[in-house]
Amino acid sequence: MAWAGSLSRGSGVAQAGTGAFELPIDLPSRLGEVGGKTSPEELLAAAHAGCYSTSLAGEVARAGGTVERLDVRCTVTLDEVGDKGHLIVSSELDVRGNADGIDADGFERAVRAADEGCSFSTLIRASATVSVRATLES
Amino acid sequence: MAAERHANVTWNGDLMAGSGTIDEVGSGVFGPLDVSWPARSEEGSGGKTSPEELIAAAHASCFSMALAGGLAKAGNAPERLQTSATVTFVPGTGITRIALAVRGSVPGLDADAFRGAAEDAKKNCPVSQALAGVPEITLDAQLA
Repeated sequence: MAWAGSLSRGSGVAQAGTGAFELPIDLPSRLGEVGGKTSPEELLAAAHAGCYSTSLAGEVARAGGTVERLDVRCTVTLDEVGDKGHLIVSSELDVRGNADGIDADGFERAVRAADEGCSFSTLIRASATVSVRATLES
Repeated sequence: MAAERHANVTWNGDLMAGSGTIDEVGSGVFGPLDVSWPARSEEGSGGKTSPEELIAAAHASCFSMALAGGLAKAGNAPERLQTSATVTFVPGTGITRIALAVRGSVPGLDADAFRGAAEDAKKNCPVSQALAGVPEITLDAQLA
């Protein structure tokens, strides 16, 4: 991460060690309109969706099902909390699953187990609300 | 005002042999990015990213913004901050460690004051607070 200038007028670039991405970042992208730049919260949303989907793929297989496709959307919310300043207050997961060999109840159990097994859910739950809504489509 | 940021991931197949894609994010700045379990847990990621790499990017950028803000507020706006975050992930255990390292170009500031500002940023940035459950978060802060 390279940052140049002050917080409100400066900007930065986040580079991945694997070379998978190189992304511009600034403060307005974080608090207001995104304007084509990413933010720490958007990166966390991508991390949580990625962590949760790998966890759910594992849990469905453990329950005897076969994953065809999982669609996971994660929304991370940053808000100003009293005198504590800006805090990440919630991370919401919306899941749609296509899997064979597992019924709706089994899928729901896998959804809960995946939340418990996703290391990022566990971490962020210490300070923010984590919610999961899931539907088995077929 | 609350700011919401979202990302969409599609996963195909099982955990070990399957793989996923971060299809898109609200800003449209990145995606599709491929993710997989081996990219996450083994040496050599094969050019794929992982949740831990994204957390590293989130933490490094959040910390940099908090530090830039703190320095500017004290009258010492930085010319440049170069921050790295290294996240250690142990399969079965989770994230065990995050190592932050920053090199700053800050006119008129001595090394101790820079370290103090960096400690404040590490403690108070929103991502640090969200990740307070990580057993060990270290900081190496030096002027460039």
